[in-house]
Amino acid sequence: MTLTRLLVLRNRLLLTCWPLTLIGLCCTLSTYEQTYPTAGQRRTAVELAQLNPGSTLLYGRLPDPGAAAQMFAWEIGAFVTILAAVMAVLTAVAVTRAAEDDGSLELLRGCGVTVLRPLYSALTILTGAAVLLTAGCAVAITVTAGQSDGVSVSGTVMFAAVVGVTFLTVSAVTVLAAQVAPSAGQARLWGFGALGVAFAVRAVADTQQVGWLNWVSPLGLRAVVEPFTVDRWTALLPGLLTVLVLVVLAVLVAARREFGAGLLRRRDARNGRLRVHGMVGLQARLARPSLLVWTVTVAAIGTLFAAMGSGAVEQQRDGEVGGFLGAQLGTGDPAAGYLAYRGTVIGIVVSVFAILSVLAARHAEDTGLTGQVLATGVRRWAPMAAQAAVAAAGCAVVLAVTGVITAVITPMFLDGDDIAARSLAYALGQWPTAAAMIGCATLLIGALPRLAALAWLPLAASSLLALLGDLLGVPDRIQDLGFFQHVPDIAGVDRPVGPLLWLAAAGTLLVLAGSAGAARRDLRAG
Amino acid sequence: MTDTVIDTGTLVKRFGSFTAVDHLDLQVARGEVHGFLGPNGAGKSTTIRVLLGLYRATAGRVRVLGLDPATHGAAVTSRISYVPGEVTLWPNLTGQQVLDAFAGLRGRRDEAAEQRLAAAFALDTRRSVRTYSKGNRQKVALVAAFAAPTDVLILDEPTSGLDPLMEEVFQQCVHDAVAAGRTILLSSHILAEVEDVCDTVTIIKDGRLVESGRLADMRHLAASTVTARLSSGHADTVVQRLHRTGVTVTTDGGILRTAVPRPLVPAVLGVLAEAGADDITCTPAKLEDLFLRHYEVAAR
Repeated sequence: MTLTRLLVLRNRLLLTCWPLTLIGLCCTLSTYEQTYPTAGQRRTAVELAQLNPGSTLLYGRLPDPGAAAQMFAWEIGAFVTILAAVMAVLTAVAVTRAAEDDGSLELLRGCGVTVLRPLYSALTILTGAAVLLTAGCAVAITVTAGQSDGVSVSGTVMFAAVVGVTFLTVSAVTVLAAQVAPSAGQARLWGFGALGVAFAVRAVADTQQVGWLNWVSPLGLRAVVEPFTVDRWTALLPGLLTVLVLVVLAVLVAARREFGAGLLRRRDARNGRLRVHGMVGLQARLARPSLLVWTVTVAAIGTLFAAMGSGAVEQQRDGEVGGFLGAQLGTGDPAAGYLAYRGTVIGIVVSVFAILSVLAARHAEDTGLTGQVLATGVRRWAPMAAQAAVAAAGCAVVLAVTGVITAVITPMFLDGDDIAARSLAYALGQWPTAAAMIGCATLLIGALPRLAALAWLPLAASSLLALLGDLLGVPDRIQDLGFFQHVPDIAGVDRPVGPLLWLAAAGTLLVLAGSAGAARRDLRAG
Repeated sequence: MTDTVIDTGTLVKRFGSFTAVDHLDLQVARGEVHGFLGPNGAGKSTTIRVLLGLYRATAGRVRVLGLDPATHGAAVTSRISYVPGEVTLWPNLTGQQVLDAFAGLRGRRDEAAEQRLAAAFALDTRRSVRTYSKGNRQKVALVAAFAAPTDVLILDEPTSGLDPLMEEVFQQCVHDAVAAGRTILLSSHILAEVEDVCDTVTIIKDGRLVESGRLADMRHLAASTVTARLSSGHADTVVQRLHRTGVTVTTDGGILRTAVPRPLVPAVLGVLAEAGADDITCTPAKLEDLFLRHYEVAAR
């Protein structure tokens, strides 16, 4: 019990913030009732949602008749299960391999803790978290849903159980991965990889009408249980059985592996050399692994949108798409609207990559690496500037690869004029936006390192304006202040590139200012 | 070219209201090994970071190789090798790749020296940094520092993770570096390593200078310890004669122990030899004694 309590204490932030967020999301059921007060309004919204491939891709199928509870389980349910799965990956690694890799378990193993004890403690914590999530979601819905249309006790319990079992399944997969993977980071990567596959399987099951696929994806559990519609509790059993099998496997593997090492050995000795000359070359080399992961991810997102977009564009041509996606597509050429929307999503993801890349400079400074680098005759501003330059170049690579791949693939799915050229242009056109994000992050880290967390602010604000601006009725001149949605339609009549030039220029200037700021202050060193 | 490689005059470094370095004078001459001593938190690492241009001095004069590191940081550090107290390296590179990275940044390297030093330190450079212990990370930094073609080495508690065998290798490296005409600033709170290799020392505490000078001169200030075994018949006469030379003596079961100022050592030994004492030992003042004395004085 002591070990379990110790692990809970060490991960208390993770174990409280995530469940609270999820339970908070479960308090929104009654808003569906308020948003569509009359049956006619709701009927229109439901029909739009059912026909909309974009929302089908993201949330799954909305069952008839589309009562408030069903809409909640469809939309909020999608968010809650995905977030529960993300929490499962993070928590499962944190209580197993992370504790091993940072050395904190080593001391305890020396105090008479048996080989399997840490794993049992981890499993206890994960099961406890699943029970807590289930109970919390059920209570939250019961308390806040009131007399909303379609709410039932069995539906509430089933919905909460879906969240809990989804969490448990993904946890079990990750715990097994943590026994096999050579390091904690690798286990986390595998867990998220499995999550990506689970999402893709669910998306294919729902958009391509192959419902049985939902039985093999943890994220498809919601679709097979159908809370508030069928409440098929037996559909939970295969998931629980899978958890049991995975846990037994994890225990078997755990008994056969060494402390601090997975079943797969880490490749420790290598003969590779490093041919770098100067800061930029070194940073580029260090950024290579993460650049590869991000390029694959962003290209995959672009391709997914290409494959799923045809229906939306057809409907838009017939004037059917409303709501969120309708607002995104706008009123111009439907194909251009869809590609612009996809461009914005790609831009948001690339901006996350850009900001994370620049933030790495602060980490290097805090751990003392920058100090050692500067002591080799490197100029004071160079590490910051090199990091920004490499981040900008990395974004260019990601966008170029994504642009070329989508330019090849999208015309196969989407009818329209100049689809290939537009795909390429809308992808490459995100670069000035990414450059501006890099500029803001560089200025903060260079000149005001204590406020580095604010580097996320431009991205958060711009994303909000780009995705929800029209829906929330934000005036155009304020929306224009966001960094996204400035890429002109390359096949259109009017092609204003002014805003993109401004963004690129601002990014460059801010990088220069941030690098100069870094040179003028003391190094932060641990 | 000036003969003072490192020169600070009334250097002050404040962080907010906290004064880390307070009017410090530090002079290191070309070609010497200078010990930079003080307890933890005395301001050694802060001073070193000012010397490297990583921190800006709040007040005072700083010259390294004749230049101000605050404005000519790169020009200064390109001629300096630095080993920090806590060595952090890129976890996903191998030891060899880290050496490549530092050499690549510096633009000059002596690969033969690197290989020779890695072998001397028994460092497997093919292994990933992730698998290195603290001592191994330190070895990578030491190999990079000693092998680099630089004029000055600034080493911040460089042997804290090394085992005794490796400390010997380290001392040999220091001797070789000095023989090659390089200048070394060696910060430490471990006295033995400084005592064995340093010509001059600067002792600081709470950011202030406590004492600075040649080690040989500073030993003068402290007394040597002399012990001897006396046969019971001679004891009283010997003690009386020693008192007459001006030293205080304690005896315990025939063992005589006395602290003797350096000029009086020959006279005292003469008395003991004449009295036919056995097991005579004479230990010169250890830096430890100097060090403790300063801490106690400062603590009072």
